[in-house]
Amino acid sequence: MTSPTVLTPALADFVTSHLSIHLAASDDRGIATLVRGLGCRRDPTTASRLRMLVAAPQAEPVLRALATNGRIAVVFSEPESHRTVQLKGHDAHRVERDPDDTALLAPYINTMVSRLATVGTPEAFVRALLHCPTEALCIVRFTPDEVFGQTPGPQAGQRLATGSALP
Amino acid sequence: MNTVLNLDSLRSCLEGILPAGLATCAPDGTPNVTYVSQLMYVDPEHVALSFQFFNKTRENILANPHATVLMMDPDTAARYRLSIRYLRTETAGPLFERMKATLAGIASHTGMAGVFRLRGADIYRVLAIEAVPGHSLPPPVARAPLLPALRRSVDALAGCRSLEHLIDTLAQCLERHFGITHQMLLMADATRQRLYIVASRGYASSGAGAEIPYGVGVIGVAAREQTPIRIIFPAAEYAYSRAIREQLEGGELADRLEASIPLPGLPDPSSQLAVPVRAGDRLMAVLYVESDQQYRFDYDMEDALVALCAMLGPCMCALQFEALDDDGTPATPARPPPDAAAPPLRVRYFAQDGSIFLDDTYLIKGVAGSILWALLQDHEALGRCEFSKRELRLDPRLRLPEVADNLDARLILLSRRLADREADLRIEKAGRGRIRLALARPVSLIAGGVQAA
Repeated sequence: MTSPTVLTPALADFVTSHLSIHLAASDDRGIATLVRGLGCRRDPTTASRLRMLVAAPQAEPVLRALATNGRIAVVFSEPESHRTVQLKGHDAHRVERDPDDTALLAPYINTMVSRLATVGTPEAFVRALLHCPTEALCIVRFTPDEVFGQTPGPQAGQRLATGSALP
Repeated sequence: MNTVLNLDSLRSCLEGILPAGLATCAPDGTPNVTYVSQLMYVDPEHVALSFQFFNKTRENILANPHATVLMMDPDTAARYRLSIRYLRTETAGPLFERMKATLAGIASHTGMAGVFRLRGADIYRVLAIEAVPGHSLPPPVARAPLLPALRRSVDALAGCRSLEHLIDTLAQCLERHFGITHQMLLMADATRQRLYIVASRGYASSGAGAEIPYGVGVIGVAAREQTPIRIIFPAAEYAYSRAIREQLEGGELADRLEASIPLPGLPDPSSQLAVPVRAGDRLMAVLYVESDQQYRFDYDMEDALVALCAMLGPCMCALQFEALDDDGTPATPARPPPDAAAPPLRVRYFAQDGSIFLDDTYLIKGVAGSILWALLQDHEALGRCEFSKRELRLDPRLRLPEVADNLDARLILLSRRLADREADLRIEKAGRGRIRLALARPVSLIAGGVQAA
């Protein structure tokens, strides 16, 4: 089922461009839960995988559900344009954080401060929203095997064929 | 549900200022996550989510009603997870209309006007609320509390002894106790399904007599659905300058644009709130307040004005009848008779719609027009200047509805409209349930004829 070509260079560039992120997982009772993401980068060893940053205390129910079945959905949205995509995968799990993950948090937050300033959100608000002590930062790694366009409009939710233009 | 965290204390998270996230789960266990355009407070145990597009979320909740919302406080950035269960979708009615108006504001605010179209209001029961750990900002400095303002206003309204006094006191209270500088009170005419302005504050002209059809704009929707409508961002499709003109231009009234009183109002309000005023099941009026400031009226302000209007409605109803005998206001001293040598004021009346033109300029129409015409006819034929409200109520020429005639409100409107026009013709109080026709020059009455407009 996993297709190594889902994460095209264009898609990878988009989802790693410091966007607004939410991760969802569902437990074995069919209850989905979610948490805000704090950054995303390509896995340096496997280019088809993404590493998602989350704050462990906030992500606790999500991490618990991922540990049982690995099913994940992640939505990425560019606040200024509302361009949005959703990626799904089946192999999500928590991995060790490395120094490059930790180094991603500050630039992620700084870019989000700039992006959200364009829609009138104060810097202090964005910094409080995305604040995470290093020791609380944890990493979820997964291989996207489906991608959906989710920019608001009647086409939202449609599966994008591999390599098709982003919405 | 958690006894400390409850929806009533988290309503600012449900204003649509910041988008919330929504996670659902397909029958095969696959999660789905989206942004929600609008998450709205319904009551302490329910929220509504806007349903705009047929998509995976829609498919999922119809198959598996459990979902989770991640929302945040727009002031402090505190986050909350709501465990919710889908119950039903409403596609018409008060809740749907409230959501539609709110969504119009959110769409304008987020540059999505023309993209967002509400198909339905999805109602969910809130099963649990969880505070998500993390940093947050201190809460904003509290504004002046609303309960003392409400209490002072209720006390003031309770002391009113006439409808006119009540209307003026309401306007004063909104200004002094709530700091509301732009406001209108519109009386409901159920027979014609229209509202007419009887009082306003904060505008260059009072607009007394200007009309809004039920269903048009924030005020008309609040009247038709008998529910408060509140928008906290500019929402072009609900702005009156546009809504009324579009409706008139497209309809049978297109040729009558000139024969109407201009609506007062801010050209592009950033916040709007319309609250129906009811006595029992009957719509008496709509109170409308607006502001150039975004998010000027929050849920608490809506609560306060709804509570105030809940008291206003029965007061209005009672005073309309009590005022027949003694409205508690002193008579205006009689004026000297008109200058017989002055050129007469030409008063033209069209029985078809009760419209009146003074020297070819439109004055008013409907019941208020018929009242003025009847007074002028009696003045011409019998030389009368004073009239009792009791006899007016029984006068078949006025075509008043048998119940809920709103005679007193129409007399207030007529008197204010004549004052706005600075006409040489006034309606004044003559004490103890009586009114007086005051003329500064003779009148010449012309019935019918071709509509001048």
